Amino acid sequence: MKARKVPLVYPTPSFAGLLFVLAAMWYAASSQNSAAVYLLLFALTAAFLVSIPHTLINLAGVTITLESVQSAFVGQEVSLPVEVTNGSRATRHGINLALSGSSRESERIDYIPAGNASRVTLRFPARQRGEHKVGTLCLTSVYPLGFIRFLKKFASSQTYIIYPKPAGDPQLPSNPAPTLHNRPQTEIRDGDDFAGARAYVPGESQRHIDWKAVARGQPLMTKQFAAEAEGAVHLDFSALRFANVEERLSQLVLWVIEAERARRPYGLRLPGTVISPAVGQSHFHQCLRALSLFQVGTVRRA
Amino acid sequence: MSKSKRDRSIPRWPLLWLAAALLFTLPPMFGSLATWVPCLFLLTLALKFWMEPKGYRLRFAALKLILAALALAAIFVSYGSLNGIESGVSLLVVLMSLKVLEAHTAREFQVMVMMGWVLCLCGFFLSQDFGIALCLLTAFALLLVALIQFHRGSSPGAFWPPLGTTCKLLAQAAPLVILLFLLFPRINTSFRFEFRAIRSASSGFSDRLSPGSIAALANSSDIAFRAEFPGSKTRPPGPMYWRGVVMWHCEGWEWRAPYTPAPVSQSSKLGGPGGRALPGQSPSGKAIRQRITIAPHGAHWMFALDRPFEIPPGAMLARGNYLWSVQPIRKARRYEVISSPEVGVNELTPHERQLALELPASISPAVRELAQSWVAQGSNPRATVNNALQFFRTHGFRYSLSPGEYKKNDLDQFLFHRRTGFCEHYAASFATLMRLAGVPARVVVGYLGGEYNDLGRFFLVRQADTHAWCEVWLPDSGWTRVDPTGVVAPGRASLDLNSFLERRIASGQMESRRNAFVTQLARSAIFTNIRLGWETLNYEWDTRLLGFDADVQEVLLESIGTASRGPLFLITEILVVVSALLVIYFGWMQLRTRSRVDRLKALYERFCRKAARLGVRRDPWEGPSDFSMRAAQLLPNESERIRQISNAYIALRYAPEPGSIILDSFAKEVSAFEAHRR
Repeated sequence: MKARKVPLVYPTPSFAGLLFVLAAMWYAASSQNSAAVYLLLFALTAAFLVSIPHTLINLAGVTITLESVQSAFVGQEVSLPVEVTNGSRATRHGINLALSGSSRESERIDYIPAGNASRVTLRFPARQRGEHKVGTLCLTSVYPLGFIRFLKKFASSQTYIIYPKPAGDPQLPSNPAPTLHNRPQTEIRDGDDFAGARAYVPGESQRHIDWKAVARGQPLMTKQFAAEAEGAVHLDFSALRFANVEERLSQLVLWVIEAERARRPYGLRLPGTVISPAVGQSHFHQCLRALSLFQVGTVRRA
Repeated sequence: MSKSKRDRSIPRWPLLWLAAALLFTLPPMFGSLATWVPCLFLLTLALKFWMEPKGYRLRFAALKLILAALALAAIFVSYGSLNGIESGVSLLVVLMSLKVLEAHTAREFQVMVMMGWVLCLCGFFLSQDFGIALCLLTAFALLLVALIQFHRGSSPGAFWPPLGTTCKLLAQAAPLVILLFLLFPRINTSFRFEFRAIRSASSGFSDRLSPGSIAALANSSDIAFRAEFPGSKTRPPGPMYWRGVVMWHCEGWEWRAPYTPAPVSQSSKLGGPGGRALPGQSPSGKAIRQRITIAPHGAHWMFALDRPFEIPPGAMLARGNYLWSVQPIRKARRYEVISSPEVGVNELTPHERQLALELPASISPAVRELAQSWVAQGSNPRATVNNALQFFRTHGFRYSLSPGEYKKNDLDQFLFHRRTGFCEHYAASFATLMRLAGVPARVVVGYLGGEYNDLGRFFLVRQADTHAWCEVWLPDSGWTRVDPTGVVAPGRASLDLNSFLERRIASGQMESRRNAFVTQLARSAIFTNIRLGWETLNYEWDTRLLGFDADVQEVLLESIGTASRGPLFLITEILVVVSALLVIYFGWMQLRTRSRVDRLKALYERFCRKAARLGVRRDPWEGPSDFSMRAAQLLPNESERIRQISNAYIALRYAPEPGSIILDSFAKEVSAFEAHRR
C-alpha cells in the first residue's frame, strides 16, 4: 500500500512529564547558576532532540500489505491479516499497527529484521452489517525514547462485507414457493437414509463429515441423507411476520445457512432483488451479500 | 508481544537497567541524607525484583497513602523539619521507592525513568564533585538504556544492542550538548532558593581556634582549594603560607576571629610596595598572581598567599589583610588574586594596638611570669620574640598529630608539663605569651604548603594542610610572620602535611598509623600517577565545567561578537543549528539504511521522467524491455544509451547478486542520459 508522504508527529502522554522534568532542571540550574545542572539539562534535551530523527527513521522503508479480509457475521470478529515489510537495511523496532480511528485495535511488532516481513492480524468485532471500507491503516513508532510518536498512514480502498447476525427459527419455512414454481413441497426434516457424499462446505456442521474417508486420506466429505434431496425453498422477505427489517434479515440469513447446510436449493426474494433458487458457495455468498447490503446502499467505513 | 502483556508487568531487562541506573544515583545520598533513606531505596529495588516475576505489587490506595504518611513522618523525625534540601530530596527518594513497588505498566515505566532523572538532578544539589558527577551522568545514560530496552521489547539482545543505541544517541547528542552549554543564554531567575549549607562540617576551620581543632583535620583528604600561578612556570620561592583568617580576640588559649570583619582602613591598604596596584598594571617587586579555585564551604573564607593586596571582585580585604567573601561560598568559585610577601602595614592605629594587646583575666600567674621573664632580658620586641622561640626550641616541646586532650585554657599544662602539641597549640600559646610580654600579636589561620600536580600544573591544598601561625607587630618591620611550629618541627613549612609526615615516618621520628603495605602502595609510582591524573580531572571539572557560569559565558559571547544581540537572537541561532543538525542526522541515517532496490527504482523513475520530457512516456503497464524498444525506436539518436540503461536496470533488478559498483555506474548513466543531448 502507498503511504501518505509525510509521517505525522504527535507527543505521547509522557512528553508532558519530560517537559516538566526539563523545566524543573532549568529552574534549578538558572536559580543556582549551576553549570553541572545545566549540563544535565542540556544532555537530556539533546538526547531527546536526537531521538526524533531516530523515531522518524524507524518507520522509513516499512510498508504494509493488506491481505484479503474474510467476511464475518455481526457479533463475530473481523480479522485483517496484514503483512508489515521492512524494506530497509536496518532492523526496525517497536512498530505499532492500528486501524485509524480506533486506537484500541492495535498490534505491536517488537522487531522486524532488515528485508524481512512480519505478519500480524488485526481483530475487531463486527458491529454493523453492510460493506465496509478497511480505510486507513496506521503504522506508529515511539522507539527509541517514547516521548514522540510518528504516524504513517496507509490508505486502502479494500472492502469487506459483514453479514447480518443469524437469528430466529432454524426451521426452514414450509411455505410453498409462491407462483413461480408450483411444485408440492414436502415437509423438511433431516432424513435418515444415507444418500451419498459431497464436498464439505466450510461453516457447516461437522457432525456429518465422513471421518472414515478422511482417515483414508480423502478430502473432507459430508454425508448426505435422503431427506436433503427435497424441493427448493423460497425465502421471501415480505412473507415474514417480523416488523423490524433487521430481524427479518437475521431470520433470512439463518435460513440461508440452514438451507446451504442441508444442500437444499434456496431462492431469495427481497424487495427489488430476486435470486433464483440454487445451491453452492457462490450462490450462498451472493445471497448473504444481498442481505448485507439490503437498504444500506453506500459503503460504510470500518 | 501483545499490548495487554506489556501492561501487566515490566519485563526483566529494562527493570535491571533501571535498577543499575538508580544505584548510580545513590552515592551522593549516602553521607548527606539520613542513612535509612538510601537504604530503604535499595531495599525496595531488591524487593521489586522478587515481586515482579510473581506479579505482586502495591495495589491498594489506602496502603499507599499509609506508607507515604509513614515516610513523611520518618523524614520529619530525621530532619526536624520538612524544609531544606535534604528533607526534600529524601521525600523524593521515598516516593520513588513507593513508585518502584507500585509500577507495572508501560506508562509507569516511563514515569520511573523520568523520576530517575529528577534524582540525578537532586544528586547535583547534594554534591557537584567530579566523582559524584561521573556517577550521576552514568545514571543518566543508564536511564536512557533502560528506556530504549523497554521500547525494544522482545528484540534479540538485551545488553549490547541497547547500550550501542544509547552510545550512538549520546555521540550524536554531544555536539548539541556542547552548543547548548556554551551558547544557551544563562538567564538568572529572580526566584532564588537558598540551600542550607550542608557541607560546612567538612570545611577546614571555624572562626574559633581551640587546641585540637586543627589536629582533628590532619587526616582529612577533602580539598580546600587549588591554586595555579598563571604567568610563571615555577612555584614562588619560600614556604607557601595561604592566608585565611586573622584572629584578633584572645580568650586565653582559645582565639576567635571577629564575627563580622571590619574592612581594612585606606591608609594601611596603601602600605604595600608601590601602593595598591591598578588592574592591568603589572605589580612591582615580588608580586605573585594566583588563580584559585575554592571548594564550597558555606562560609566567607577566601584564601590567598600571604599577603593579598589586589583583591578579586565580590570580596573585601578585612582588617588583618585577609580576604573575606561578601557572599557565603556555596559553590566552587574561581578567582584571581595578587599577593606579595612584602606587603607590610607600616602603621598600627591605637585602636588596633589596643585590639592586639587585649587579654582575658583568667591567665595563670606562672604563665604571666614566663612572659615577663622574656621582656626582662631584652627591651626591644624582636629580642622578646627570639627569647620566646628559644624557649620553645630548648624545652623539649614535641610536634604531634595526637597531642591528647587538654582541658579548656590549660595553658600551664601545655607549657610546663606535657609540652606536646600541633600547630594550633603553638600558635595560640605563642600569641598569648607575646601579648603578655607587651608585643602586639595575632593568630593567622590558613593553609601551609600544598601538593604540586605535574599533570595539571596546579597546587592542591587539602584540609589536612590547615595551619595556624602568628604575626607580631615590630616597630621596624610592621606585622611580621612568626611560625612557632617551624621551631618545633623544622621542615614542615616547606612541605604539605602528608609529605612532611611521610618523611618523618621514613626517618623513624614517628610511627606510622597506617599499615606498611598500604603506605608502600600509596607511594608507588603507578598509584601516584593515577592519583595525580584523577586530581587533574577533578580540577578540570571544577574549573572548566563548573566554572563556566553566566559571567564566563558573557566573556565568551563578547569574544565571538554576539553578546549585544540579546538572548532571543541566540536562541533563534541555536534552533537553526539544532534543526539543521537533526536534518543532517536524518539524511545520513536514511542514506545508510535505504534499501538498494529503492535507490534503483528511484534512478529508473528518473530515467523515465527524462524520457517523458523527450516525448516518450512510459505506460504504467509497460515493462522495462518493451519500453526500451519503443523508446529506442522513437528516439533513434539515444537508442544506444536507452538500451544500455534498460539492460543495466533489468540486470540489477532481477539478477541474483548484482554488485553495488554496477549500481553506481547505472546512476552515472542515468544522469548522463539527457545531459548528453543538450
